[in-house]
Amino acid sequence: MKKAIRKAAAVLTVLGMTTGMLTGCGGSSTTSQTTAGGAAANKETGAGTEAAADAASSGLAKEIDFLNSKGEIQAALEEMAAAFEAKTGVKVNILACGAGEVPYTKITSMYNSGTAPTMAMLDTTDIVALAEEYAIDLSDQAWIAECESNITQVNGKVYSFPFCIEGRGIIYNKQAIESTLGQAFDPDTINSLESLSALLAELRAAGMENPVVISKEDWSLGAHQLGMIYDTYDGTTAGSAELISKLTDGSLKAIEYDRFNQFADTMDVLLQYNINGKDPLGALYEQDPIYLADGDAAFWLNGCWAWPNLAEAGAEASEEYGFLPWILGNDTTDFANTGIQAAATKQVMIDKKQATAEEQEAAKAFLDWIVNDDEGQRMLVEVAAVIPACKNNAYDPLDPLGNDIKQKITAGKTFSSSFIAPGDHWSAVGAEVQKYIAGKQTREQLAENLDAYWQRQK
Amino acid sequence: MGTMGKNRVDRVKNFGIFALPAIFVFITVVIIPFIYGFYLTFTDWNGVTDQKNLVGFANYVGLFKDSAFWSSMLLTLKYVFFSVVLVNLVAFMLAYVLSSGIKGQNVYRAGFFTPNLIGGVVLGFIWQFVFSRVLVNVGSATGWGIFSTSWLSDPNKAFWSLVIVTVWQLSGYMMLIYVAGFTGMSEDVLEAASIDGATGFQRLRQIVMPLMVPSVVICLFLTLSRAFMVYDVNLTLTGGEPYGSTRLVAMHVYEKAFTARQYGVGQAEAVFLFLVVATISGIQVYLGKKKEVEA
Repeated sequence: MKKAIRKAAAVLTVLGMTTGMLTGCGGSSTTSQTTAGGAAANKETGAGTEAAADAASSGLAKEIDFLNSKGEIQAALEEMAAAFEAKTGVKVNILACGAGEVPYTKITSMYNSGTAPTMAMLDTTDIVALAEEYAIDLSDQAWIAECESNITQVNGKVYSFPFCIEGRGIIYNKQAIESTLGQAFDPDTINSLESLSALLAELRAAGMENPVVISKEDWSLGAHQLGMIYDTYDGTTAGSAELISKLTDGSLKAIEYDRFNQFADTMDVLLQYNINGKDPLGALYEQDPIYLADGDAAFWLNGCWAWPNLAEAGAEASEEYGFLPWILGNDTTDFANTGIQAAATKQVMIDKKQATAEEQEAAKAFLDWIVNDDEGQRMLVEVAAVIPACKNNAYDPLDPLGNDIKQKITAGKTFSSSFIAPGDHWSAVGAEVQKYIAGKQTREQLAENLDAYWQRQK
Repeated sequence: MGTMGKNRVDRVKNFGIFALPAIFVFITVVIIPFIYGFYLTFTDWNGVTDQKNLVGFANYVGLFKDSAFWSSMLLTLKYVFFSVVLVNLVAFMLAYVLSSGIKGQNVYRAGFFTPNLIGGVVLGFIWQFVFSRVLVNVGSATGWGIFSTSWLSDPNKAFWSLVIVTVWQLSGYMMLIYVAGFTGMSEDVLEAASIDGATGFQRLRQIVMPLMVPSVVICLFLTLSRAFMVYDVNLTLTGGEPYGSTRLVAMHVYEKAFTARQYGVGQAEAVFLFLVVATISGIQVYLGKKKEVEA
């Protein structure tokens, strides 16, 4: 008797566990159905709060997911989503892409597991890769008129909303320069390699031993510094694609390309004044902004995304930081020396495969709110602290780097090329530039390795 | 209970109760993905599209052409060799000392085991700080040339940093297994050896070592497979830098599949890595088992 009971108990336990496992496996696919079903049910009954009724009556889903790949604005986006929900009744869940998680890997696995977010914020390269198969066509959206110069097209159609503008160049700390030299500094006077070299020599003579910070990160050296040679081909994304196709088919060698040589010339000068010069690859990304904020150095090769790092290092928003162009050559009228690169980097696409029509409409409404609603505009700039891509947004960025870019855009002192390269470009080419700054390879070897990288992409 | 398992019905029932759930889980989360992954090596899938075209052995050709893969494979073999040898030497010596009955040995055991409780990612960051900040400051304060620049900025020193951190992390864990081996050893045999006049070293060489072979086999197996598959420490300590020179094979496979988005080639490299690890561990276990003796 006792034995039978014990056996029965064992069987029950096992059964329970097995069912648990089975339901566990099926869980993810049922969730998305419930969400859609829930929205539909709500629409029929018209129950819920007033706001929810709003959402239902306008044919919007009650709840959508938004994959955020800009970790530093996660909290800000959640705040924006809450404001949007208060207004429209549509709840936007902001999903974080974990630290160190590659956004493309994340969206890939979400699609494969059937839990794709309705909206996803991704880099332009990723958007181009996914657009035609996974994103809905947004070419008819009203906001296109406001962001015209910043939209990305794939075969003539728009699949993504330019979420923000990011720019890069040589960040300067104006106060550090002025207090070292004892005179006013006008960044516009630095528009050639000669004037840059002269300024660096002056700073050194005045006691700032090594005025330049060069970070050793491969994404920085590969994509942002060396990447300048693509973006300055003629200042447009189409131009950079043309150059890249020449490098890929071997009809142009890097060493014969004037921008490459100008890049190496400038790099050589900067390296002489590198504060990490004793051990260039021993640089620490946590330490680099501290040099600049403390005024031990005056320049840092980086972009506007570095502001949070600078702020953490003690820089105040009231201080004067801004961008010098990534100087290339001695032509003072060259667009590369008079303006900086600034383009839409993060783009938002709306899923066409797994989202319902109501979810897609809700997603479009969220984008429209960011572009056209005063509260949406304000929060994008002041809470999320990004530089808006739409010209109807009149709010000024609060941080000096963003503000400098916004002013340069208004003054026409930017170029919007944003080159598109294979996913491993930054790490593979970054490694080659690392060898160069560590003195492990010559300019000719760097050029050869760059050619070799591109010719592998055929 | 005595009659259980005697007849066929009981056997099927027992199998159903005890083995089936585990087998079900094993098949769904290990076997099926493995076979599916193997299938993917014959396609040109990029990771997201619905289209998968069969491309035959093109990915395996890609694998043999990928020179970066072979250099990280070679580096990994070097890393595995030094890690396995050093981890086991250190662990064995620690276990030998800490099971000889010295004062406070339990405290020491806990102390040496602690690094293993820290996750590889955190550990990598801690040691990154040690190598690139603490030691450099020590170097500039004392003038010792060896610490004048960060160890992580030189390919060779960065490699040894990886080995050092691995030894520091794994030897405590292996020490516990060796300690268990020492504790389980029969006192009678050791006593008999002493009565027969064996010296300390003879005892270690002729009696203790043969009896410890099962522990050695387990430890070698664990360190081998863990060292081959290491990713977390590699990622946070060196990140493959300087200039990609410390990219171990697991990291290379990941980057091939997800950063370079050549999913097929990356998967083919993963299959190849599996074969290498399976072969080496298999040989090691087989040879080790032959050396085992009954006490």
